[in-house]
Amino acid sequence: MMETAIEIRDLVTHYGDREILRDVSFSIPRGRTTVILGGSGCGKSTLLKHLIGLLRPTKGAILINGMDITVMKEEELNGVRKRMGVLFQGAALLNSMTLADNVALPIREHTRLEESTIQIMVRMKLDLVGLSGFEDFYPSQLSGGMKKRAGIARAMALDPEFLFLDEPSAGLDPVTAAGLDELILKLRNVFKMTIVAVTHELSSLYTIADHVVMLDRGQVIFKGSLEGLRASDDPRIRGFLNRRPEAESYSPEDYFRFIAGD
Amino acid sequence: MTIEMDKYRDATVMRLSGEIDMYSSPGLRKELLSLVAERVSPLIVDFRGVSYIDSSGIATFVEGLKGMRSFGGRLKFVAVPEGIMEIFTFSKLDRVFEIYGSADEALSG
Repeated sequence: MMETAIEIRDLVTHYGDREILRDVSFSIPRGRTTVILGGSGCGKSTLLKHLIGLLRPTKGAILINGMDITVMKEEELNGVRKRMGVLFQGAALLNSMTLADNVALPIREHTRLEESTIQIMVRMKLDLVGLSGFEDFYPSQLSGGMKKRAGIARAMALDPEFLFLDEPSAGLDPVTAAGLDELILKLRNVFKMTIVAVTHELSSLYTIADHVVMLDRGQVIFKGSLEGLRASDDPRIRGFLNRRPEAESYSPEDYFRFIAGD
Repeated sequence: MTIEMDKYRDATVMRLSGEIDMYSSPGLRKELLSLVAERVSPLIVDFRGVSYIDSSGIATFVEGLKGMRSFGGRLKFVAVPEGIMEIFTFSKLDRVFEIYGSADEALSG
């Protein structure tokens, strides 16, 4: 039995009146890579924002190492966030800073380490992601894949227990995306981190996933192993894995009524 | 993390135990660099009681080794637990740091 690192219980969330996640419950095993899978708009990025404490749900609980972060005060939550590294979509590097300063920022902010130690750590993190020698480059001087790698180096700055990746390979060419997937595998193997990656890319899924949670229209439709996902006969899962477009959700007459405003 | 200093034959031994992390690394750095300043060599670091080392700890030893090399001193690691060895190997530092099974091996190496 795998040890649970994060447990999500009956999570419900809204944007305004619109329900985004409906009774979402699943567990994230420790030291493994969990992929949250689903098509655009299924609620997976919203779910990730809840896991890192950026959004508060309408109801439900998120237990990280047994502690419910949905009821924590901001100060307490900041303590938990120090153990999390996050790669946001688009990497979210600060453009006015060099790569070295981007990676050093969380270390300078949260520790009392000497600058000489920080500089060595920064070079270690950049080497880890294959960016040795790029310390003095600015984000605007980098390719999309290099920016993502730099974003991972920054996410790794404080040696996090949890690494969250939002669409890590989206927008990258297949070779660059495959290189990034290899890096994610390496991080799990060497640092035994609990990794949570949100993606809709099947190639990433097949390379990095130990555990899969699939969302469809805000609901969990699958949780389990990659083998279990592949063997599923749920038509929504089969359609996604076989890259079939969804069936039209309403008739031409409904469409007419919708655009006519009836 | 705790640091205990000892002597073994002609060497100075630093016995570490607990977690070497971003909170404890500054103390380790201070101790290590003061030994470097005194030109203590060989310095044996015994990892037997270390349960965890993070990148700030590794960076501290990189700084220590750099200091040792500046005067031709030797920094030797002994009894490195498997999990920590994996991290050294991954970062290729296993080929930079001198790593031995025991203090006797370290002194004959």
